[in-house]
Parts: sequence; structure tokens; C-alpha cells
Amino acid sequence: MRLEIGNFYVKDIVFGAKTEFKDGLLTINKEEALGVVFEDEHITEADLHIVKPGDMVRLVPVKEAIEARCRVGGGPVFPGVTGELMQAGDGKIHALKDSSILVVGRHWGGFQDGLIDMGGEGAKYTYFSQLKNLVLVADTDEDFEKREQQKKNHALRWAGMRLAEYVGKCVENLEPEETEVYELEPVTKRSAEVNALPSVVLVLQPQSQMEELGYNDLAYGWDCNRMLPTFMHPNEVLDGAMISGSFMPCSSKWSTYDFQNFPMIKRLYQEHGKTINFLGVIMSNLNVALEQKQRAALFVAQMAKSLGADSAIVAEEGYGNPDADFIACIVALEDAGVKTIGLTNECTGRDGASQPLVALDEKANAIVSCGNVSELIELPPMETVIGELESLARDGLSGGWSNDAILGPSVREDGSIIMENNAMFCGDMVVGWSTKTMKEF
Amino acid sequence: MKKAILYINQFFGQIGGEEMADHAPEIREGLVGPAMELQKQLGDEYQVTHTIICGDNFMGSRQEEAIKTILGFLEGKEFDIFFAGPAFRAGRYGSACGNICKAVKEKFNVPVITSMNEENPGVEMFKKDMYIFKGGASAASMRKDVAAMAKFAIKLMNGEELLSAEEEGYFGRGIRKQVYLNPPVNAADRVINMLLKKIRGEKFQSELPIPPSDLVPIAPAISPDELSKIKVAMVTSGGIVPVGNPDRIQSASATKWGKYDISELDDLVEGEYMTIHAGFDPAAANADPDVIVPLDALRAYEKEGKIGGVYKYFYATVGTGTTQAEAARMGREIAAELVADGVKAVILTST
Repeated sequence: MRLEIGNFYVKDIVFGAKTEFKDGLLTINKEEALGVVFEDEHITEADLHIVKPGDMVRLVPVKEAIEARCRVGGGPVFPGVTGELMQAGDGKIHALKDSSILVVGRHWGGFQDGLIDMGGEGAKYTYFSQLKNLVLVADTDEDFEKREQQKKNHALRWAGMRLAEYVGKCVENLEPEETEVYELEPVTKRSAEVNALPSVVLVLQPQSQMEELGYNDLAYGWDCNRMLPTFMHPNEVLDGAMISGSFMPCSSKWSTYDFQNFPMIKRLYQEHGKTINFLGVIMSNLNVALEQKQRAALFVAQMAKSLGADSAIVAEEGYGNPDADFIACIVALEDAGVKTIGLTNECTGRDGASQPLVALDEKANAIVSCGNVSELIELPPMETVIGELESLARDGLSGGWSNDAILGPSVREDGSIIMENNAMFCGDMVVGWSTKTMKEF
Repeated sequence: MKKAILYINQFFGQIGGEEMADHAPEIREGLVGPAMELQKQLGDEYQVTHTIICGDNFMGSRQEEAIKTILGFLEGKEFDIFFAGPAFRAGRYGSACGNICKAVKEKFNVPVITSMNEENPGVEMFKKDMYIFKGGASAASMRKDVAAMAKFAIKLMNGEELLSAEEEGYFGRGIRKQVYLNPPVNAADRVINMLLKKIRGEKFQSELPIPPSDLVPIAPAISPDELSKIKVAMVTSGGIVPVGNPDRIQSASATKWGKYDISELDDLVEGEYMTIHAGFDPAAANADPDVIVPLDALRAYEKEGKIGGVYKYFYATVGTGTTQAEAARMGREIAAELVADGVKAVILTST
């Protein structure tokens, strides 16, 4: 499989008469773009904003981030989700780099939603503060979940994907500034030199904890709760086969943008043929029942063994209950003789004194750790808020609270906030961006 | 001018060796033995005002009395920070330093710093409670060990940024915090680095060293005969509460628990009880709360005579995101109530 990603670097975004990309300037026809958003009758109210690094803007409740793209020669950017099923990862796509489409609730947030500060001291806690973002802020008539802590956010997330395809379309017929090529030979058809290198498989555990459909990550539109671990080409992940879900404390979440740009995959590609032989991706999941966890670990270890993997990297999208899958999978791989590295974040509590993962095993002896979900973060008021600041305290965001005997509410009258890292939008960057680690004090 | 007080044993207090180890606690104004070096290392901004001396045996065998006496000495004295040792590899001295530091910290709420060698048993006993600097094996490293304590004390008192235990040189206190790497190295690079080392059989350092497991042994089974005579209690981390959540237990990262009277009930019904747990799909539990708190099943067992009865309250909290420390505290509180009321069997349900 060969995937070409043609990159267009966005230097600035403005609203204007025509949606187009020219010399690094992305112009958006607001009315036309909102028309795409309103294609879904469930969207009741919508507006677009532009936010850039350093802007003193706070976004909350943020539900999703997506990279604007188009598939050259036609076809959906997200096969099986925004259009018909087709093979992802083989062919050519164009992408608008250094920018994303952010989806923000106009009022209502939930357990899975997060916060982004574009400027000030809070900016370092999310990846998206470094990007120029087109922000969709909208409300829906999905009243059944308006006051539910857990929201599917279906209308908003799908509006974000339509918007990403609409914006991406403007570079379809342009010549990219640069093209990245991702190509892996079939596993059994590699050169003697590549075969002589230690082989590595990347095991991903996307979020799939909800039994009810509509909350979990999707693979080609298929709910990850209903699948068994399967072998995938890394290009499929980079090319829209995986969609972020709407469940999990937000700092642990992998947005669709994270899947599209998966730094761990890109890093493995860099090493492929030099220090390692990158076999591919085993896509597992994080179901809650013990038997499902054990079954998934069995499948992963068997596949790694059958593929002849000398080594594996296991990354989990979540913490708490999923730690059991994470550790079980590492133990199963180590027992199969596969040298394994874990990639995760931790939950050591506000005081840092709690057990870092729910499950531990001494066989998990090589872990890269990307942060503490319960670290307390206090931030000053922001000049502008997009969305509704009160949602952080009111709507059960995983890192917010309406009242605390000692700390008071998450949102104070002056607009300053106190929260757990838990609610930082995709803040722990377990996909590979994180420059945070954990140290003992 | 900041003020410090140092605790040392009879040997370093120049009272005498093993034959004087029963020496009762005393406090002296000014500097004795290692206090002189400590004063020198702390510099002009600090004054080591007193030295406390106590025999190691006295502290070991009459600990309560020794601590009480020393806390009495400190009552009314002005001091900003408290030191003990260095204790090197001396086991009894290490234990004494740990005990007195812990007591001083609890009573006066000032920073406490000591120093021990890694082989000193005092390290394992007290490292979670205080800063214990990694010291030498013998008094030959006195100057170096005192300097390490003093250097850190100055940083601490000045409110400077404190680095990790390893970087500062003390034994980790089991507190894990997130830090931004400087210079920044992203996680993908760190994974590749660790992966290549692990593949090649080279030494590598996991960023999450797995601590020894903290497991509670499963209790021995209760005989059917005994079970038929005793009441069984139910405790859950599944968040089942009366509708309205009267105790306002948090839906995630809980710090509260509640207890609810079920002495008149045979069944937890939809609309009266529900789950407030935010970590799983609540549909099944809300439709029938007994799936998490199985009151209906226990009542049936009660009628059949399998159990002697159902304890009058069930206890509930929420397990998702709840830290181990909070969970252990709540567990201890609930257990204390149950034990006090003579309950001998508990069914603990999680989700």
C-alpha cells in the first residue's frame, strides 16, 4: 500500500467571498460553510470562528478536532462514515497542515469534552493551541442527551467531518507544497536487509468501553466495541479509517485529527528499514468485560507471534478500566516472547500518591508515560470564551466540578478556572506528541 | 533570618558511644557536632538555634516518652525548618530520625529533612513521610550529606522550583507528578529509544517503574452453617444511590460515600434508586439497580435461610477516576462502621 499525503501549509485563515487556498492563506466563505453544517436538520444553531496560536481565547466544551482533507480523485475522507466504504491508505490525499477544524458545543458539554486555551499559560496543555483553527460552535436538538453526562455528540461530530471535507475540497486541484509518502511492502515480500532488522508491531487500543452504539471509536464506520483485534495497515489509520469516539475523560482521548496524524506511526515509518522492520498495526480495543479483555489480549499476542514480531508497542486510549486491557496485552505479548513497550498516561491523583495504573504487572517493565490525568491546573480568566465556560463546572466534564468543599467550583465568577488535567482536550497526547512525562517526588 | 533546629544522637552529640545510648533527650542552645557543619552550609541567612540530642536506645525503647519530651522542648520555639541526622547506615539512628521528623512535621507543620544510607532500614519505614536524602555509609561522608540537606532546604525555603527526587537526591516519596521535559523530547521518540535498547538488550529506564503490588488477601470462606446465622452487608463502588443523590457523591473521582437504609425494602426499584457513576453505560443499572446492589437476591437467600439476614444499610461510592488513596480511606471508614456494628460478611460489588 502506498499513501501520498500532499501537504498545504496554512499560514493564516480569514473569512471571505470564496473558500479557497492561496499562498498559505485559507479563505472561508462562512455562509457556504455553515450551509454544509446545516445539512443535518438536527443542527439548530451554528457559527464559525477563527482562532490562532497566542489568541487569548478559551474554547469549551470542545468535542472533536479534525484535519481538513480531500481524497484526490474522489471518495470520502472517512470511508464508511462520511461516504461509501472504500479502501483507505492507498492513493493520494491532500491535507491542510498546521490547522484543524475544532467542534465546540454552544452550550452543553459532557464527560468526554474538553478545554483548549489558545494563549497564555494554559496553551501548553493541548496540542491544538499550536494550530490555526476553524472553530465550529453549534447546538443541536438532540434533547435526549442534553443533560446527560455522556453524550454521543453525533450531529456535532458529523458536522465537523462534513466541514473538514468541505474545506479540504478547496485544495483538490492544487499542487501540494510537499508530499509525504507512506509505503510498506507486504509483510512476506520484504527485502533480506529489512527482514534482518528487528520486527515491530504497533498495537493500538482505541476507546470502545460503551456497550451502546454511538459513543465509541469507529473503524471504517464499525463500532470498535463490536470487533476483535484485527491487523491493519498503518496507512489506513493515517487516512481516515479511524474516527474518534465520544467517551473517555478528555485528556486521554485521541481525536480524529490525532488518528489522521498519528505521530507514533510516522515515527515508526522513519525507523523502518533503518533500525527496525515495521510490520503494521494490530487494532485492538478496550471493552469492559473481563472475558472480552482476555480474548482481545489472546488475539493480539497470537497475531504478533504469527507475524513474527520481535517487539511491540502498546498504546491505550484511556485510563482506569482500560489499564486492565493495557497491562493484560503487554503481559500476553511478553509471555509470547515479544519485547514490549507500553505507551500511556497515569492517574496518580491530585496529590500524586495513588497507584498509577489500575492494573500493574512487573512484566510491563518498559513504559513511556505521558502525564497525570488528575493533576490540578489553575488558569486565569480569558478575554474571550467560545462555547460556554460554565459547562466545565456544570455538565460533568471529567476534569470539572460544580462544587468542591476546599477548591470551590471549577469556574469562578471572574472567569478563572481550576480543573483537573482530565478535561484538557486530548491533552496527554499518548499518540506520541507528549513532551510530558511522570517523575517521582 | 530563618531558624532551624537539628536532632542528633548521643554519639554525634558527643555524649558517648553505645554505653551512653540510653541518654535521655536534651536540648541545647546553639551548635553541637554536625550542627556546626549545617550552620556553615546554610549560610548567613539561617540560624541553627538549637541542637537536640537523644540516645538511640532511649528513642528505640521509650519512643513515646522521647517524642513527647522533644515536642515539649520545641513548644513555643520559633523555627522554620527541622533537620535530623545524617544517620548514614546506623539503623536505630535512622529510625530515630524518621520518628522524630514525622512527629515534628505533624505537630508543627514545618518541612523536615533527614539523610540516610540506602541500606538503612529507616529509609523504607519513612521515605513516604519526608525528604530523606541519599547519604553515605559512614560519618566519612558527613560534610557531603549535610551539604545535600542544606542545599535542598534553601531551595525549599526560597520557594524555588523543586526537581524530581532523583534529580534532587532524596528517596522518592511515592508521589508521581507530571513534568514537561526540558529540553522537550516527545513520547514517540522516547518509545523508539526505549524500544531499541530493549531489543538490543541494553539498559533502559521505564518511565513508570512498577511498584510492588498492594493486594489484600482474600478472606477464608464462611461455612454455610455460620452464614445462615449472620447478616450480610453490601458495599458498592458502582454509584447506586437514592434518586436525587442526597449525599451528593461525585460521579467521577469520588471523595464521598453514602449509606442507605434498606431494612424495609426487598428490592431496589427503578425510579427510586439509580447509578450516578459516570464510567459505564448506566442503562441496565438504572432499569434495575439490583444488578449492582443485589438486594432482591439476598432477600431470597434470607427467606431460604442461606444467610441470617441483610444488614440494614448498603454503602455506596463511585469507583471511576477515584484514586487508590481515596478509595482506601473510604474503605477504611466503611469497614470501621461495619466492624463496630458486628458485621462479619460483606459483598463488595464493583462495575
